[in-house]
Order: sequence, then C-alpha cells, then structure tokens
Amino acid sequence: MTLVRLEHISKTFRQGDIEVHALTDINLQVEEGEFAALVGPSGSGKTTLLNIIGGLDSPTDGRVHLNGTDVTALNESQLSDFRLFQLGFVFQAYNLVPVLSALENVELIMVLQGRPESERRERARHYLDLVGLGKVMERRPSALSGGQQQRVAVARALASGPRLVLADEPTANLDSDNATALLDIMHKLSHEEKTTFLFSTHDPRVMERAERIIQLRDGKIEHDKVIADVQAQ
Amino acid sequence: MSPSSVQDLSGSRLRIFLFMAWRNLWRYPVRSLLTVCALSGGLAMVIFNASLMTGMTRQMVVYATEVSTGHIQVHRQAFADDQDLYATLPWPWLEAIEADFPQLHVAPRLYAAGLASTTETSTGVMIRAVDAERERAVTRMLGQVRQGEVALGVIDETEQGIARYGVAVGAQLARNMRLAPGDELVLVTQAADGSIGNALFVVTAVLNPMELNFDRMGVVMSLEAYRQLMFLEEGFHELAILLDDLDQLEAIQMALQDKLALLEQQTPLDEWGGPVQVRNWKELNPAVSEMLAVSNSMTLIIGLIIVALASLGMLNTMLMAVHERTREFGILMAIGMKKHWLLVMVLLEALCLSLLSAVIGALLGSWLGLRMEDTGIDFSDMMPDGYDWGGIIFEPVMKGWLEPSHVLYASLMMIVVALLASLIPSWRSIRLKPVEAMR
Repeated sequence: MTLVRLEHISKTFRQGDIEVHALTDINLQVEEGEFAALVGPSGSGKTTLLNIIGGLDSPTDGRVHLNGTDVTALNESQLSDFRLFQLGFVFQAYNLVPVLSALENVELIMVLQGRPESERRERARHYLDLVGLGKVMERRPSALSGGQQQRVAVARALASGPRLVLADEPTANLDSDNATALLDIMHKLSHEEKTTFLFSTHDPRVMERAERIIQLRDGKIEHDKVIADVQAQ
Repeated sequence: MSPSSVQDLSGSRLRIFLFMAWRNLWRYPVRSLLTVCALSGGLAMVIFNASLMTGMTRQMVVYATEVSTGHIQVHRQAFADDQDLYATLPWPWLEAIEADFPQLHVAPRLYAAGLASTTETSTGVMIRAVDAERERAVTRMLGQVRQGEVALGVIDETEQGIARYGVAVGAQLARNMRLAPGDELVLVTQAADGSIGNALFVVTAVLNPMELNFDRMGVVMSLEAYRQLMFLEEGFHELAILLDDLDQLEAIQMALQDKLALLEQQTPLDEWGGPVQVRNWKELNPAVSEMLAVSNSMTLIIGLIIVALASLGMLNTMLMAVHERTREFGILMAIGMKKHWLLVMVLLEALCLSLLSAVIGALLGSWLGLRMEDTGIDFSDMMPDGYDWGGIIFEPVMKGWLEPSHVLYASLMMIVVALLASLIPSWRSIRLKPVEAMR
C-alpha cells in the first residue's frame, strides 16, 4: 500500500534576485513498511524534500499525499495535528528538550497527543528499552552521549505511533560505531513496529543499510533503486 | 485517538508545560536570579514607598482630626466666616445630639480674642474654652503636654476671693511670653455684654505644637472660666465630633444635618448668626484632603514607574531565553507542538519568574513596611518642633503603615506588568515557522 505519494513537487527559493530551484518536478511513491534512504550530496534537496513531506515546509508546486491525506491542503493547526499523530521526526542534532530526562522527552510527545499517563509511561519505557537505554532513561540529554541522544530521538519518534518516521541525516554527528548501532536499531524497529522510515544521508555506511535508495542531484531524482524487497521479509 | 481531542489545554499538558517552564528558568540560574532580584527589589520598593505614603497620609488624617479638629464640626455660618462671638448654638442642642447619637464623641467649644499680659509683656491671644472631659474623648489636644499638667479648674483664690482658673498655652506663645507652668497670666477681652472682661489665670501646662495659629496664640481654659470672663451664657460656638468608624463619615454628617434641621424647627435661631453648618474634616482642612488625593496618585505613579523599569529586566531575560531556544522551539513545533501551546509555555516561564519575584518582593517589602511602622524615620534633629502643612503641625517622625491590600495590589501589578513585558518575546516565539526556527 502506498503511504507517501509526491506529485510534481517543486520548490523554489529566492536568494536576493536569484531564484534557486531546490526541487524540480519530483514524483515519488513510498510504500508502507519501507526503509528508504534519500541520498545525494549537500544541496541536492534531501532536507527540503523531507521537510515538504513532513509538512514543515510547503512546495512551490505539486501535491503531497500521506496516508490518503493531501498534506499540502492542510492549514497550520491541522498540520500540527498531522505531524503529532502521523509522523515521527529524528533530526541531525539537538533533537531533545534539554530540561527533560530521556524518559520525559519520549513522554512529551504523548502528553501532547493527550494519551493517559500510565500508557505514556509504559510506552516510553518500552521504546527506551528497545533502543537500549533502559538504564539511563532518567538522565537528561546533557548526560547522554551523541549516539544515546539520537537513540532517544528514535524512541520518541516511534513512541507516538507514527505511520512514517522522517530522519534528516540522523548519523551526521555520530562516529562510525554509533552510526552503525543507530542504523541497526532503526532498521530493526522498522520491521518490528511495521513503521515506514524515510531518511536522508550522504554517509555510505548508512546507505548500505537502506532497502531502497533514492538518489537526488540538483533537486531531481537521479536514481531510485530498491535493494531489498521489504514485502518479502 | 482523533486529532480533535488535542484541542484542549488542560491537565497533563499544562502540568508538563509548567514543569518545563520551571526547569527552563534554572537553565541559566544567574540570569534568572538577577531578574528575580530586579523584580522583587522593585516590588519591595513599591511596597515600602506605599507604606511610607500611607503612613504619612494616616498621620495627616490623625493630625487633621484627632489632635484638634475632630472628624466633623458644627458651627453657625457667621462664626465660621467671621468668628462672630454671638453666633452660638444653644446648649440644649448638645444634649439632644448626645442623646440621638450615643456612638459619637462630642465636645463643645467657645472662642474669643483677647490680650494676654504678664509683668513683662503682652500679646494678642485666641481663647479656646473646652469641657475638659468631653474634649479628651474627642481630641488629643489636652494630652499634648510639653510642660506641666493640664488643670483647667479653679487653682486658688486671690486675696479678694476671686477664683483663679488654670489655663494651658501654646508652645510658641509660652516661648514668646516666657511663660512656664505656675506663672500668672492676665487676660483682657471684650465680653459679650460689651464690658471689658479681665481675669487672672495660672498657666498649668504648655502644649506641644498642633496648629500653627494655636501654637502662637492659643490659650485653653474651661467653659466655666470662659463664662466668667466673657459673660456669654447662651450657647457654644463649635461642636467638635469624633467618629469611631470613619467609613460612616458622610452618613453621620447627613444624619447630623437632618437632626440639626429638626432642632432648628423646634427652636428657631436668631437670624444674624446664619444657618447651621455641618462640615467634615476634609472640608475643614482642604489642603490636607488635597494632599491625600495627590499622595495616592503619586504612590500609584511611582509604583508603576518602578515596576515598569524592573519589568525591563524581565523583557530582556525572556528575549534572551526565546532567542537562545529558537531551534528548540522549532523542534517542538516540528513534532506537533501547537503555537498557542508554545505561547503558554513561554508565558508560564514568565509567570513562574514573576510569581517567585512577587513572593520574595512582597515579603521583603512587608518587612521594610513593618520596620517603618515600628521605628519610622526621625527628622527631629532637623525639625525639633515638627513641620507645618496646611496650618497643621506634624510630628518630626515619619512613620510607615503597611496596608495588606497595598501588598496584594502591588504584587498583582508587578505580575501583570511583567507578563505584559514577556508578551513581546512570547509572541516572537510563535511567529516562527518550524523550518526557519530549526535553521
């Protein structure tokens, strides 16, 4: 089943008098359960595309359909709700609220969703256990390593029960071991939780883990290659 | 779970925003503490100033009423305008008023101008005759003794068998005439029957300064001594009245007017004395009354200025806090935090800061106010005889008065102004788009 469908997405920025075409006529479908990577050099449009899919930015042209909803037609408040209930986000860095512990960070999104306290607490512990942070969940972000912080971000993204997790260069600030470990966790959870992951990277180690690689260059899709058949697994 | 269920902002959501706001305050403890110091210091100054002003105005009211004037006075028009000796109120009216208004303290007074002489000097004086017992219930005049002891009755008799009455005199008059308790004083005046009245008196007390004129010219004697000197039997010139509950001032004033109108119907008065006037202390001392109104406005204006200045600290702190956390706000909005929730979170942070400051400021200000109430500021080195305002002489010790309602209103004012100051940074935080904020 198609989860994400992009139709003729273009994005143009103005920088002074110059028009910059960040994305040009992107057409893309992402199926439910995929573990897909947007790859390409810096400036190829990966982050812009993820932002548009996540409703954080709007396209100049084209439509984004996610789980049957036309994201581009939603107003600001509807977009907030949409992100809160349908999407999970993992950013490159500084993902977490510094004044909350790992457990509270994961719980926060469920508080916003209005879930009951017992359910929040249980789910937060469960996902922190899944990302291997069961013993440090009371620590604040400043007392966690970069890799641990990104794992908390993954736990937070999944705990909200999203249809799609968008991760923008989640391993960019991590060393090799931590990057590999994080990818393993994301990959594992993608299958266990039946959650679709779409992440951007230009890190070859990350690309190796992806089941589908969508190559962007100068705002256009250059290649779109399925490496493993998700449905078969 | 439907998205519509997230519209409310109650319960756990508000709790976690409050929790985050409180913790955010202590991310930069020095900055927060400096803001708390500025706000609470400002509030303490406002409360201190208010207590000083309230103390001053209370002192003014007390001096304008309890020392000599009373809360209400009754006169005939001609006496009020020209000190007409014959413009009196009948003595039976005193008992009638006392009978109808048992809750009031009333004191009749008589006045006359005269000449006071000693063996060395003589000067013009203003004679005030009082019923000592009633006067003590209405004013503190007879209690304000600098020297001697007030005794207005018969002290002794002359060799010719004429009674010598005691009198109390104003401090400046005593100084000018070099009078001290025990000294003799001759008073000469034109009596009510047109004859020259004169008598020998004994100074029993020198009174502290109360009213400028009285201090320079005042001689207090008994009603009996006055009658003998002035041959005036018909009535009294002034009725000074003290209320236990000042809130009843206007009501009592009106009730007295009604009662006096009724008495006038029953016992018509002569025409030349004019109508009966019932005036309250504000009408009798307009300068003090105006000063009270001005000081209340001044307290409010000074309070607002101090609080507004202190709130600039809040504005700066919140601007910094929002600026530093732009990316964090962007992430929160990205994961689904609505803008109005973010606004609430930032405002809660400002609220925590201002509530904390309000508690500390209110405690500090109250302590200062109570200290002022207790000890006051003593200017007696500079002004040993006190200072004069609108003809009334005030003690040289300025005392504060802590009014709990002032503490409450000043604290609320500080919280509201600080929250208003934090609206600008809060508004900035929600004008951001998530993708811009995260850049």
